[in-house]
Amino acid sequence: MVANTAFDRVQEPSWRRGFANLLAKENRAWWGSRRWWVQAGLWTLVVNGLMAFLLFAMPVMLQLNEDPSDAESYDAVLQSVGALFQIGTVALALGAILLSQDQIVGERQSGVIEWILSKPVSRASYFLSKLAADAIAVLVLLVGLQSAIAYGLISLANGGLFPLGPFVAAVGGLAVNTLFYLALTLMMGVLTHNRGTLLGVALGMLFGGLIIGSFMGPYSLFTPWSMTAALPAMALQMGLPLPIWLPLCTTAALTLLCIGVALWAFRTMEF
Amino acid sequence: MNPSNDIMIQTHNLGKAYGQVQALKGLDLRVARNSIFGFLGPNGAGKTTTMKLLLGLIRPTSGSGTAFGQDIVRDSIAIRSRIGYLPQQPQFIPDMTARETLQLTARFFFTGPKQAIDKRVEEMLDLVGLQDKAERPVKGFSGGERQRLGMAQAQINHPDLLILDEPSAALDPIGRLAVLRVMEELRERTTIFYSTHILDDVQQVSDTVAILNHGQLVAQGPIEHLLAGSDKPVYTLLLWGDGEATRSRIANLPYVAGIEAAHSNGATSWQVSVTDEAAAEKGLLREVLADEAVTVTEFHRKKYELEEIFTSFVEGDNNGR
Repeated sequence: MVANTAFDRVQEPSWRRGFANLLAKENRAWWGSRRWWVQAGLWTLVVNGLMAFLLFAMPVMLQLNEDPSDAESYDAVLQSVGALFQIGTVALALGAILLSQDQIVGERQSGVIEWILSKPVSRASYFLSKLAADAIAVLVLLVGLQSAIAYGLISLANGGLFPLGPFVAAVGGLAVNTLFYLALTLMMGVLTHNRGTLLGVALGMLFGGLIIGSFMGPYSLFTPWSMTAALPAMALQMGLPLPIWLPLCTTAALTLLCIGVALWAFRTMEF
Repeated sequence: MNPSNDIMIQTHNLGKAYGQVQALKGLDLRVARNSIFGFLGPNGAGKTTTMKLLLGLIRPTSGSGTAFGQDIVRDSIAIRSRIGYLPQQPQFIPDMTARETLQLTARFFFTGPKQAIDKRVEEMLDLVGLQDKAERPVKGFSGGERQRLGMAQAQINHPDLLILDEPSAALDPIGRLAVLRVMEELRERTTIFYSTHILDDVQQVSDTVAILNHGQLVAQGPIEHLLAGSDKPVYTLLLWGDGEATRSRIANLPYVAGIEAAHSNGATSWQVSVTDEAAAEKGLLREVLADEAVTVTEFHRKKYELEEIFTSFVEGDNNGR
């Protein structure tokens, strides 16, 4: 029988005890199964299917129209960049919500969380390992991969490389927005064990916010809801009534707030 | 050795309330090193609550507790690094195989070397008889298999303290005996604190027992003491012949509190309860044998079954409320 002296003991400090093991477990759940390529394929179909349609199919369809002015006034690159950062902002946020909604609630309902937390694992490690693994997956599969494919398609339709700087800056904004909805969903997984409530709040924030934001005028730039307007403007180098970094900073601050609330609430939760 | 090192778990007035409901009231518990401590009580008595308090899964609303001399609230992670825990209904990550589950568990305690971890995992699979199911996802496991995996993961770090919540509840008789055997084997190097409803098991393996009812500790002590009767010691005599005169004489002895007699197949059985155990040990049998009309075929201090003790404490406590 192997004695305990034969092992190297875990030496992490208390506050992040178990983080490395849990992160490895979460990463395995993402990348060690078919989950990653199913999600990659699905979101490529949704996001870049739309891109391909707007870039290559739409001009052909408009040319088949009886009114030739439709085709002349349609700028495929402008439309598709606008759509990527407008519809993509909502679609990828929706993706982040759907992919993470069961992460904590599922383990709370099944009792797996009780088993994990009975081991030498800090509660912060449990939450942060899920956040980190999901953030990596969402940033790679949803934001990074989709933006890279979209950039290739846009450049192809453009007949040359689309300006990279503004595009990358807007992708950064897309990442901040997607991470906000990820953090919000995981926070809700801590605050409630009811999937309905969780989805109600996260989806309400996403879709309800779009409606509310449209009535707020320039003040919506202080909310994440203005990202659908701010990011296309950023990519296309168009001006906005207020500094464009404002919604980015607000959204990043709200993301940190969600993480902070989740860690605080999780610390006192009982299982 | 420092005497405090011999106490693995100690609680002082430990309590837990959920709103107005007091799940655990003023628990004072002492669990000695290398003991097999049976924690008994009816459903809802507070057994699982106590275990969860020790593990830091819930927080006490009153009192305090230590494990290995460390505070159960402040030093929870340090405590959990020396504990193995089997929940009442163990739940694992459904898509993981039994081997992956044990590897994951081992890595909460050890970072390597990989060969040593793999070997320990193999030993644990072997211990609970799951080698042939090692590569199967846990979601396909029966309740008994899940319980066996639970036993394996609880021991993967060779814990100083093993906390088992109903370890044999979901097992068939063979599985149950296997669990008892494992517990016996582990006695040498670990302390086992476990709850169960199966009183036979407790009587077989436990050396110390605590009984909890309605969140309160109603009895605690070495099992031998409990089985000997906690109130007035009772001596059993089986005799033949007319013992009526002797019975009256015995009843008047200063250390005799009462006699209950029962007749069966010509023999008479007496249950003599006494107030002075030493005096009874020395004189009671002599007093009876002084009567030549009776023949004594059996004399011993009455040993209770744990079930009797448990029922008397729990029902007595219920009646008193």
